[in-house]
Amino acid sequence: MPVTMLHHVMGVDGYYPTLIALWLLPLAGAIVNWAFGPQLKRTAGPLGSAAIGASFVATLLLWGAATQHSADGALGAHQALFNWIPGWDFGLLIDPLALLWALIITGVGFLIHVYSIGYMDGDNAFARFFAYMNFFVFAMLTLVLSDNFVGLLVGWGLVGLASYFLIGFWFFKPTAVAAARKAFVLNVVGDVGIMFAIFAIFTAVHSITFGDAFAFAGSYGTPLLFVICLCLFIGAAAKSAQIPLHTWLPDAMEGPTPVSALIHAATMVTAGVYLIARCAPLWSQNPDAQLLVGTIGGLTALIGAILGCAQWDIKRILAYSTMSQIGYMIMGVGVGAYEGGVAHFFTHAFFKAQLFLGSGIIIHALHDEQDVRRMGGLLKKLPFAAWAMGTGVLAIAGIPGFSGFFSKDQVIYGMLTHGPHSHPWLYVLGIVTAGITAYYMCRLFFVTFFGAYRGDVDPSSLGIRHPELAGTPPSDHEKEPEVEHSPNAQWFMIVPVAILIPFTVLIGWIMFGGENSPWAHFFEQQFPHPALNVPAISEGLTGLITFAVVLVGIGIAYMRYATASAQSNAVERLRSESIHMPAILTHAFGFDYALDWLFVKPAEFLGRFFGRWLDPHVLDGAVRETVISAQWLGALTRSFQTGLVRAYAFILVFGAACFIVYYALAAGGFH
Amino acid sequence: MIAFWVLAVILLASAIWCVTASKPVYSVVALLLHFAALAATYLTLNAEFLAVIQIIVYSGAILILFLFVIALLSSGVAPFSVGPNRLPKIAYPAIALVLIAVGFLTWVLGRASVAAPAASPGGSPVGPAGTAGVFGSVSDFGTALFTTYLLPFEMTALILMVAVIGVVLLAGDQTPYIATKKRAEDVRREMREAILREGGQ
Amino acid sequence: MNPMTVPVANYIALSAVIFFIGVAGVVVRRNPLIMLMSIELMFNAANLLFAAFARAWWHNAGHIFVFLVITVAAAEAAIGLAIVVTVFRSAKNVDVDDVALMKG
Repeated sequence: MPVTMLHHVMGVDGYYPTLIALWLLPLAGAIVNWAFGPQLKRTAGPLGSAAIGASFVATLLLWGAATQHSADGALGAHQALFNWIPGWDFGLLIDPLALLWALIITGVGFLIHVYSIGYMDGDNAFARFFAYMNFFVFAMLTLVLSDNFVGLLVGWGLVGLASYFLIGFWFFKPTAVAAARKAFVLNVVGDVGIMFAIFAIFTAVHSITFGDAFAFAGSYGTPLLFVICLCLFIGAAAKSAQIPLHTWLPDAMEGPTPVSALIHAATMVTAGVYLIARCAPLWSQNPDAQLLVGTIGGLTALIGAILGCAQWDIKRILAYSTMSQIGYMIMGVGVGAYEGGVAHFFTHAFFKAQLFLGSGIIIHALHDEQDVRRMGGLLKKLPFAAWAMGTGVLAIAGIPGFSGFFSKDQVIYGMLTHGPHSHPWLYVLGIVTAGITAYYMCRLFFVTFFGAYRGDVDPSSLGIRHPELAGTPPSDHEKEPEVEHSPNAQWFMIVPVAILIPFTVLIGWIMFGGENSPWAHFFEQQFPHPALNVPAISEGLTGLITFAVVLVGIGIAYMRYATASAQSNAVERLRSESIHMPAILTHAFGFDYALDWLFVKPAEFLGRFFGRWLDPHVLDGAVRETVISAQWLGALTRSFQTGLVRAYAFILVFGAACFIVYYALAAGGFH
Repeated sequence: MIAFWVLAVILLASAIWCVTASKPVYSVVALLLHFAALAATYLTLNAEFLAVIQIIVYSGAILILFLFVIALLSSGVAPFSVGPNRLPKIAYPAIALVLIAVGFLTWVLGRASVAAPAASPGGSPVGPAGTAGVFGSVSDFGTALFTTYLLPFEMTALILMVAVIGVVLLAGDQTPYIATKKRAEDVRREMREAILREGGQ
Repeated sequence: MNPMTVPVANYIALSAVIFFIGVAGVVVRRNPLIMLMSIELMFNAANLLFAAFARAWWHNAGHIFVFLVITVAAAEAAIGLAIVVTVFRSAKNVDVDDVALMKG
């Protein structure tokens, strides 16, 4: 009896209540938190977290249904929702790919919600935060669970909206508002790309569901297919912060740290990766698009890593590292190494969330200090944070045995095995970037934790030019006294991070074993498997080379920041490094200026044109001219009314004469 | 034939003199001459009754009326002075254009054939003037007026009555009508005193 | 019936010229009395035409019409003169251009 009950809960063919619950519970949490926020006060936090936790449980329950074939041969569980117009059938689909994303969204999301109960404690808008976070989870689930392009686009837009809400959460900060607006505008650029792709697909196959779109993948023709893939990639690039649409991600760190952890590390920015992985059947048919995507992913990885070396804000360092790691993921799924790219998404979610949440602990402990130049010596003061950040750094650097090593290695090796002539340049790029990643992450760790505490040092002697910009006030009133958190708040922050640590360290082992790993088995049916090249360098050798480069990076960082001599004159060294930072790095290669000229200035010009010239002169002018011409006509007609009797008499006679002449002619008098 | 041309010249000359005379009395005299010549023209057209009517009504009544009004308006007032001419300048070439149109019209009409009927459709016999009952005589005219054209005749009577009422209303004595004779006397006395007080009008 | 010795066209031309002399008088002159006299000229031109055609066609309807026109012209002259008297009774100049109250 319990077995059949469980079976019914998990759902039978075509009807999956658990799936619907999974999708809608976060929305319910958002609505309750939003509507009853003032009444809920501090219980909004546990309520929101419970909603996500319940969704996580539902996702686990659907594991079986998602990984098996349903009655009609399709992979995963499919729940039809409604049919709008012919060709537009909306529904939910959970197959291994969606299941993986849903697990991360709800699982890591749940941990971050619990963390937020502690982090946002003391904030006035506590309930609103959880309402927005739940709304975001709902939107992200809409994105990954849809079985059609339009549903995906709806989720796509809603996560952009949730990101706007959450980046600008502290809306009294002008920098936060500007960052939120920038993120939204760039996301809209991507939305346009996806819309065009949907138009093209619908025109070709008259359906928006994934199944139909991919079934006829071969019938599009190469030019159309390339255009579709290109448009989809524009959307993915905007959402996943790939060049040239990446400039919003570093500024998005204006939001609270849990937001950065959830949205801009683990889930929303990976939506582009999901999109490409989902449309794998389209990409696999078009090597040109694959080359383009892979190249951009690789370049993003490299540029993100380079820029990460030049940052001093702890969250911006992590933001650029996110951009770089997503470059890896895009590189992987771009060239066709879907398992590798998705694997890196999986491990990245854990260690990046851990890094962000750990940095949040540091920021909170130091009363909203975010500049690493003012940190230092925290090994003794914040040991737990040191453990959290340390394991995260080891994972992201790709130390063998940690999770990041396995996934990154899979991606890098995939550059050689995939592609008509493999991608040696991307291979080299991946390895070099791994070294740079190790360098700047260890730089972060050393500067933050080693040496003496520099919080008392005068900011200008550290090279800080705008000390007032460092740090984020948690609320809109003055800094509260020391005891601003409830005594249990810190446990809410510590426990989720503690849960994440083993995942960061150990989860990579499920990918060990190549094609026989549990990971490969999980995705056996999901992705297309074309014939692979057999490169000269084996996977094991790739791992060794990568590890060597990583060690070089760590070594350089150690030499610069961690030796005893470096720490003794740390203030001097930091100051000189800040002052001598090349301008090209401080201005992030000028992408901001380029995008400003490309998008913002034309829009402003159009606005000025329409508002200052067209509207007053042409449109209003047309109305004014009509009035004036009516007045002129009236004046003209009025000029006939002279009041002179003789003039009237004359007009009478003149008219009579005209009549007479006319009738004389008309009567045929002209012989 | 000669009669026609002589009379035509007199008609035109007197018309032009009437229109261009500087003093209104000269215009009246010119008009009188014009009417006389017109009566003579009617006589040449076998319309003797019309000629007589023309002299009696037009020259004898209307022109005398004009003279009375001229007398009324010029008493105690400076001679008709001339203010600035406010007719738009366009009128003069326009009049020239109108005269050209007249010439054109005349030419056109002159080329139209006017068929003379075989028999007299009017039914009145033809004979020399002075004979009783011929075309244009008094009896012929009277017969037509009181039989065939009785309705227009009655309507003209109505028109004349309306005209008389209008004239009395417009230009007549503006004294208010008083019911009682004694009251009327009092009102008249008051008006006289008021006029004397203000030194006349 | 003996036809007219003078062709009808002559009378038409004569009548037209007298008529337009009257028109010119109405338009050009500013004295209201002269204007009314010019109107009388126009009436008489029309009468001449009626009389000429009555003779040309031996039809006495033309005579009747002349009679009616004379009657109406008399009535009109009377009323017109009454108006002139009323308007210009206490005016400084007897000038029609000064009565331009209906301007605009």
